[in-house]
Amino acid sequence: MIMNADRVLRREGSEPERKHADDDGPSKPDIGRPKAPNELLRRMKKVDPDQAKKYRQRSGE
Amino acid sequence: MWPVLIGLETEYGLLVEGRGAEDQVDDSMALVRGTPDGRFVGWDYRFESPRADLRGFQVDRLTIDPEDARFDVGSKRGPDNEVRSDRVLANGARFYNDHGHPEYSTPECLSLRELALNDAVGERVVLRAARALQAATGKRVCVYKNNSDGHGASFGTHESYLVPRRLGYERVFRAVVPLLVARQVVCGAGKVGAEAGTHCDFQISQRADFFTETSSVDTLYRRPVFNTRDEPHADPNEWMRLHVICGDSNRISSCNERKFALIKLALWLAEEERAPAWSLASAVRSFSSVSRDLTGSGRIELEDGNWTTSRQIVESYVEAADRYLDSSDKEVCEALDRGRESVDLFEDLDRGGETLATRVDWAAKLRMLDQFVADGSADWGDPSLKSYDLAYHDLDPEESLFDALCELEMVEERLPEQDVTSRASTPGESTRAFARSVAVRQFAGQLVGVSWGCLTFDREGDRKTLVLPPDVVYPRVLEDCRTLDDFLRQIEELS
Repeated sequence: MIMNADRVLRREGSEPERKHADDDGPSKPDIGRPKAPNELLRRMKKVDPDQAKKYRQRSGE
Repeated sequence: MWPVLIGLETEYGLLVEGRGAEDQVDDSMALVRGTPDGRFVGWDYRFESPRADLRGFQVDRLTIDPEDARFDVGSKRGPDNEVRSDRVLANGARFYNDHGHPEYSTPECLSLRELALNDAVGERVVLRAARALQAATGKRVCVYKNNSDGHGASFGTHESYLVPRRLGYERVFRAVVPLLVARQVVCGAGKVGAEAGTHCDFQISQRADFFTETSSVDTLYRRPVFNTRDEPHADPNEWMRLHVICGDSNRISSCNERKFALIKLALWLAEEERAPAWSLASAVRSFSSVSRDLTGSGRIELEDGNWTTSRQIVESYVEAADRYLDSSDKEVCEALDRGRESVDLFEDLDRGGETLATRVDWAAKLRMLDQFVADGSADWGDPSLKSYDLAYHDLDPEESLFDALCELEMVEERLPEQDVTSRASTPGESTRAFARSVAVRQFAGQLVGVSWGCLTFDREGDRKTLVLPPDVVYPRVLEDCRTLDDFLRQIEELS
């Protein structure tokens, strides 16, 4: 029962807040910063995860 | 106070597809020799003295890394100057192969901003040379502006500060060492994992794992926090050079400005006998512990049994500089601004480090990796995190995660490209680098030797060595000299 209750709570918590069509809202959504992490993650996923294993250097100064 | 001539030399990591560390000297030679930016070949080594020690003696030999020395067994690469393959560039910079690493040494600068701009020129020079090597060989060539391969091999980013000889070793040592330890927090490049000592997921400094001595002349092995190489590249009776080897190479340009600013303040305070008197119990242990303390408030043990923090050390220097240095001086003012910013960044770190993550490489990298871990794409024990760390330092803007952060405005704005480009053809200040720049651009046909402190010309069989004093203003009219005689005469009249 407790687990079910938790699940219900979690589901409720994760639901996006809905706005009705006649609500006032920002005329232009802020798509700058929130979008950045997703784009960053996309760029990070392009990296060869084994590149550091291949990167062997001579010791320098 | 004297105008402190400064320079930054950076060894870059090099990875050529299908090649290994055993090929790196050959690859680095090929990269340097193929640079489209070289203007003059013929570096003059006569005035170099890497074995001379500021404490008044000369060592017989520099210590070398026994692991690394195995790569050189049986090698037949010819004389040292051929291996180094020095090129002097149009802006008076030096570009060469140093132990298998393409190294760019900036022209001498006075202001922090010029230093940062000229270091950025180096990134472009190295990337162009890498692309030329890739085109010539058909193999993918990657170049990284970092200081460690993550497997125990480190390579340096060395700062130079020209200091009046009258200050002497002891005074400079006492004034500078506490800041070398503490400043990492506001200019470290950050690294996943440890290559010596106790385990950590992430640390502030790329280089901290590689210092085992407090002070010594060595740079290749058993490296010191305070390097004592006595090689002023100027009149040794008048000048010494502080050669700092424990800093990281930076992608965020203000980190360069901050690291030089703090040391300049320490040197000026040393001259005024006003440097804060911190005696660390162990500079080596403190360097390592500061690197592993991501809060900036960990204990630094002092010789008298008390302790302090990196924040208190930096604050004490900035407060002393504010009080005792002449802030009407343009250079002092510029350094103090960066010093005050450093204090603000410590405060920001106490509040969570939101600003720090936009201005300091280690914090920007840590935030990036944290997001990756939070996304579930890796965890902190995953060895692949080292690849994302490495990608931060990649010079190729298509591959670089630092460039991704710039594009996404997650780190502070980069230096204006036009300002960087203009420094590639001529230095922005009237230091002796400007005279070197004019010489390689206009009189290369008669030039036979270049070093930091001299130019040697051949005038129909007559060799003429022209000394370039470091504390002279080299006027822009030198550019208008039509003949070598005119150029020589104008320089001789300056000193």
